[in-house]
Amino acid sequence: MSLEIQNLHVRVEDKEILKGVDLSVSKGETHALMGPNGSGKSTLANTIMGNPNYVVTEGKVLLNGEDLTEAAPDERARAGLFLAFQYPATIPGVSVANFLRTAVNAGRDEPLRVMDFGKLLRQNMELLKIDPAFNKRYLNEGFSGGEKKRAEILQMAMLEPEIAVLDETDSGLDIDALRIVSEGVNALRGPNAGFLVITHYTRILRYVLPDFVHIMLNGRIVREGGSELADDLEEKGYDFIREEVEAGAA
Amino acid sequence: MPPSFLEESRRAALEVYEREPVPTWRRSGFWTTTLRHLRLDELEPRRYEAVASYEDLPAVLRTALAGEELGGLIVQRGATSVYSWLDPALAEQGVVLTSLEQAAEEHPELVERWYMKRLSAEEGKFSAGTAALWTGGAFLYVPPEVRIEKPIQTVYLIDEPGTVQYAHTLGVVARFAECRVREYCLAPDLEGQALHAGAFELYLEEGAQVALAHLQDWGKGEVYDISTKRVEVGRDAHCSWVPLHLGGHLTKQTLDLITAERGSDMRQNGLYFTEGDEHLDLFTTDQHEKGDTTGDTVWKGALTGSSRASYEGLIRIDYGAQNTHTYLQTHSMLLSPKAKADAIPSLIVETDNVSASHGGTVGEVDEELVFYMMTRGIPRTEAVRILVEGYFEPVVSKLGDEALEELVRAKVTAKLSAAEREVEAYIAERA
Repeated sequence: MSLEIQNLHVRVEDKEILKGVDLSVSKGETHALMGPNGSGKSTLANTIMGNPNYVVTEGKVLLNGEDLTEAAPDERARAGLFLAFQYPATIPGVSVANFLRTAVNAGRDEPLRVMDFGKLLRQNMELLKIDPAFNKRYLNEGFSGGEKKRAEILQMAMLEPEIAVLDETDSGLDIDALRIVSEGVNALRGPNAGFLVITHYTRILRYVLPDFVHIMLNGRIVREGGSELADDLEEKGYDFIREEVEAGAA
Repeated sequence: MPPSFLEESRRAALEVYEREPVPTWRRSGFWTTTLRHLRLDELEPRRYEAVASYEDLPAVLRTALAGEELGGLIVQRGATSVYSWLDPALAEQGVVLTSLEQAAEEHPELVERWYMKRLSAEEGKFSAGTAALWTGGAFLYVPPEVRIEKPIQTVYLIDEPGTVQYAHTLGVVARFAECRVREYCLAPDLEGQALHAGAFELYLEEGAQVALAHLQDWGKGEVYDISTKRVEVGRDAHCSWVPLHLGGHLTKQTLDLITAERGSDMRQNGLYFTEGDEHLDLFTTDQHEKGDTTGDTVWKGALTGSSRASYEGLIRIDYGAQNTHTYLQTHSMLLSPKAKADAIPSLIVETDNVSASHGGTVGEVDEELVFYMMTRGIPRTEAVRILVEGYFEPVVSKLGDEALEELVRAKVTAKLSAAEREVEAYIAERA
């Protein structure tokens, strides 16, 4: 049971951003994808979720063996994929609770009973230390950076995806918000969920310890290893890896 | 016998009506509102028997009112005022709700004092036609310091093709009185033409507070609506006005709010949703005659089919009206490649030391938001529906009137599902 990315090539507006990415995330595992700005991390996240602005020119995205490369984003979500956005959209006029109810019920044959939904929502909000007044606010409208990220994690908790991609969830968070968000992610970790944590920095990985680390440079994954690779990176920086890769190529 | 002031006013207006040609309204660029398909000569005022009880009123009206508790209700069907009811407790406090015809006979001084204070037959052919030819009509008077909790409702109903309806509502809310006023213009889906030529005038005296809503839903028939609605807000008075346009073959309306004395405040939150080949032409004025007044106007519209909507909103601040603060914004959302919308905010300021600003946008459904919602498992069509409903929600939730809020939400949802395939195809094509 896993997400498999096979030889993925992706263009955005005639520019090739991903140049053959292979990556596999199984349930129960937490992977970190690290790389400097512009290396293609967000492109990978958006392509996994089927953003129409990203064109796959070669390769596949599979979930549990099912080819989702051409699937619409809502089909991917219902198949068990989730993306926590780096810059979540603001949905004017739609309250957090209403949005969540619609999303949760979209993935079910029978809609969840109102009481059961309310209970689930309360539990998850407590878990993420979210003020109940949040519910009635329009989704992300006037939310601080930290509130937006927590709202993303709340959606993840409500939708219970098999594989979740967290795109720079740590960016723009102060240390307290980072800890709350990380605790939320950790609470959802378990044998039934896999995570791909995309980040520029090693900061979040001190709270959400990855099983595997992948380093992306210039549209390709250039290094893979265990959590020690992140420590290595923290110490030496991306330039070191870039030099190593260039030396290897030469 | 109707009082002589009315006779005189009607005679003068008739002269204007007969003199003036059928107008065409030209707008910027592609825009013209024309009545060339209206066969005015074939329309006639239709008279009906009065009905004894609420249950005998036509279904389209009872559905819209949904058996809600009202403070008073007056219904005009075609040319006849067919039903009126006022809570006896309100009548005891001096509240008046009758046809304007009846009010002119029973309260001639009150009617003469306010009648057409802010309207003029010289404004155009149909203003003159309405002033000359109105029948039935509605009159509301709320005496000083009386507070009415339940809504006062007026209804203009057209339920036969071939009808011309000249309508006139006059309302006066006296010093420090408070009330909610709703006027509905309704028709079932008619097979054929009809015309509603309407005048609405409402006066708020010092310290009065009014929540006013207009709901227009003329159905899918060929109903023309040419109306002028004007509200004058007196000293320290407050009016919140929500005009809702939810259906009409061709609508040409002028909606004006005048803050006429110091300290007066107006809010206008308008909404429209056009579909099919509907044509909507709105002109609103937020006019400040005195200083220390405030205004806030927000309009939101959505269009499907090959419908057209033009919204022109003017802020006007008269000479000497210093320390006025007012804002106007208008947004239109296109949900079809064939729909066309105009948003024209404008500003005339004849004094200094004011703050006034305006803005207008015409846009489409934001594909990024659709993508975001789809990543949560929500299908495209539903995502669009939620976005459009959410777009209107800040206006709808300002109604402060649950029954009306639900009516509007249901209507918006129905219109979106009627256009579902078309909207889906349009958005898929752009994606």
